[in-house]
Amino acid sequence: MNRKYSKRSLQEAGQGYFFMSPTIFVLLIFILGPIFYAIFLSFNNVRLLGETSFDFVGLANYERVFDDRRAGIALWNTFKYVIIVVPCQTILAIVLAATLNAGMKGEKFFRIIYFLPTLTSSAVLTLIFMWMYNREGLVNFGLEKIGLPTYDFIGDPNVALTAIMIMNIWATAPFFMVIYLAALQDIPDSLYEAAELDGAGPIRKFWSITVPHLKPITSFVVIMSVIGTFQLFDQSYIFSGGSGGPDNSTLTVVLLIYQYAFKSMDTMGYAAAIAFVLAIVILVSTLIQRKLSKEENLY
Amino acid sequence: MEKKWISSVSLSLLLAGSVLAGCSTDNGGEGSGGDSGDKTTVTLAGWGGNPTEQALLEETLADFEEQNPDIDVKLEVIADQYMDVMKTRLIGGEGPDVFYLDAFEAPAMIETGVIEPLDEYVTDEFEVEDFEEPLLDAFKQDDVTYGFPKDYSTLALFYNKTMFEEAGVEVPTTWEEMMEVSKALTKDGVYGFGVAPELARQYYIAESLGGSVVEDNKANFGSEEVIEALQPVIDQHNVDKTSAQPSEVGASSGGDMFGQQRAAMVLEGNWNIPYLAETFPDLEYGTAEVPTVNGEKGTMAYTVAYVMNAASEKKEASWKLIEYLTGKEGMETWTSKGFALPTRKSVAEKLGYADDELRGSLVAGAEYATVWANGTNLPIITNNFNNQFISAFLGDRPLDEALKEAEEQANSEIGSEE
Repeated sequence: MNRKYSKRSLQEAGQGYFFMSPTIFVLLIFILGPIFYAIFLSFNNVRLLGETSFDFVGLANYERVFDDRRAGIALWNTFKYVIIVVPCQTILAIVLAATLNAGMKGEKFFRIIYFLPTLTSSAVLTLIFMWMYNREGLVNFGLEKIGLPTYDFIGDPNVALTAIMIMNIWATAPFFMVIYLAALQDIPDSLYEAAELDGAGPIRKFWSITVPHLKPITSFVVIMSVIGTFQLFDQSYIFSGGSGGPDNSTLTVVLLIYQYAFKSMDTMGYAAAIAFVLAIVILVSTLIQRKLSKEENLY
Repeated sequence: MEKKWISSVSLSLLLAGSVLAGCSTDNGGEGSGGDSGDKTTVTLAGWGGNPTEQALLEETLADFEEQNPDIDVKLEVIADQYMDVMKTRLIGGEGPDVFYLDAFEAPAMIETGVIEPLDEYVTDEFEVEDFEEPLLDAFKQDDVTYGFPKDYSTLALFYNKTMFEEAGVEVPTTWEEMMEVSKALTKDGVYGFGVAPELARQYYIAESLGGSVVEDNKANFGSEEVIEALQPVIDQHNVDKTSAQPSEVGASSGGDMFGQQRAAMVLEGNWNIPYLAETFPDLEYGTAEVPTVNGEKGTMAYTVAYVMNAASEKKEASWKLIEYLTGKEGMETWTSKGFALPTRKSVAEKLGYADDELRGSLVAGAEYATVWANGTNLPIITNNFNNQFISAFLGDRPLDEALKEAEEQANSEIGSEE
């Protein structure tokens, strides 16, 4: 024990920690505890039902991830999903925000309309979309009317994931639109005025002023949506009834984790290992993204 | 100073304690409920049925409580994800005393040791021989009985009478006839035959040529015999184009497809009869035994049992409940409206379902049906089979290639668990 701290400061620190204790307690029990427990689980062969047992198996669960063909499919599906959904919804969000910020009539009305999908629960949304995606549903009706081929969106492995992608872009873009809208309000009008004096048209102003000024927000939006899309679960769960079918086409990593954790017996440890692999994948992709967006600074 | 420390520590402990206590009030309530008035409370958990079915169960339970005034039954209906909820509760030591268990899930659950063996409770009066043997066998392991089947259903051929009359065809009795009849019935967006391309429904067909889907608790459906037996199902969809799965016509299930008159024939179970009566009351249909596959009669049987939680503290009372529910009297009330078929021969005889116009062919199937249960790894095997079978069914890849790959994947999943 060193005597660096006076009694008074110790007492103050004690009081501080005392006041924080409910929060610290909650954090330990509900956040840090489970994380460390999951790490512990991932190194063990876990049997929970009946006689609970934990056999330490070292890295065997992690090795199994790389041998498991379904884990490969799940990662690939999730990767495809991220690569397509993140850019699409970001671009859509910018465009929506820019049009709403242009000072048109009925702006408020459209703001509400655009934001509605985000307010809807994803489970309800998925059920509604499943009706629309039905073989004889609205989407196919529309496609047929304009002379395009129709699809069995729910039953055909080739289009099932695309169907979920479209649904999610539609549902999440408005959320990021609101963030962009806030950022747009921050861009000083003087910049636009100056550009106008220089003879810039609306498109030029968008590319030369709006887009560069939104860069910090864009990197935030991209990171959030990368994390969100990597964790896709509920939509594909409802879409496939929990199986990840047809033909593993809607199997995502989180859905696979769920299947191993709850559907098959004694694979809780393996499920925890996949969860950690996913966490690492998300961490790495976020770091890459941050690195990329830092390279070109605006100011 | 020290005093302050102690008081702050004890205060935070107190806070923590109250948080924890908040979590466990439920527990305390249950305990005290059990003691009041010397009554034992037995919890019974199951999934929900339709309202009429629910009322029947409550009626049966009320009868039981009347006969056993010292036992209270608390019914818990688990609406969704039944097995997930049940496993989690059993792990947490909060499992119900008595619960439903599907034969499909039974072997794996029994192996973990959470299910109480019931042999020592059984009395002669209970008449175990009265149960249909294959159904009872699904809940046995090493000759020990872990559950008594409460009801079952087999598959039968449901056919649309109007369509059959219009096409001028007879009800098929063999698979070949069925394929021929389908051709005559397929027209204007209506398919002759509605298929459910999943193992739970195709299992008996897969094994009709002598192959086995599961061998030594491992997947074996990539064998020549199984592939050859399943090929007609694929061909009917892709070559004849006279069959379809429900999602292809925008239906949610085989029954829905049949009710919407998008398929002239489907293979469905007992559940389909009340469903059709409720949702499509004007439909003119009949049932027949499943067409013979390669000259052999075959169908599937699905059964659910009442089992007892091995960790239950009220085993005597729990057994009384199981004994009543699967006994002659309880089963008669429960199956009296025909939502489920009785697993006891004597009850079946008494209720006369064998002569029922619609249920007769379902009852007839019990004799030769394959019970949907086979070893602890069937869930993994089924998942992999279904995933690849659908790609062959949709014509994306040849059946043998798809099934062989699925078999490999299933066995690698099984292998790494051992």
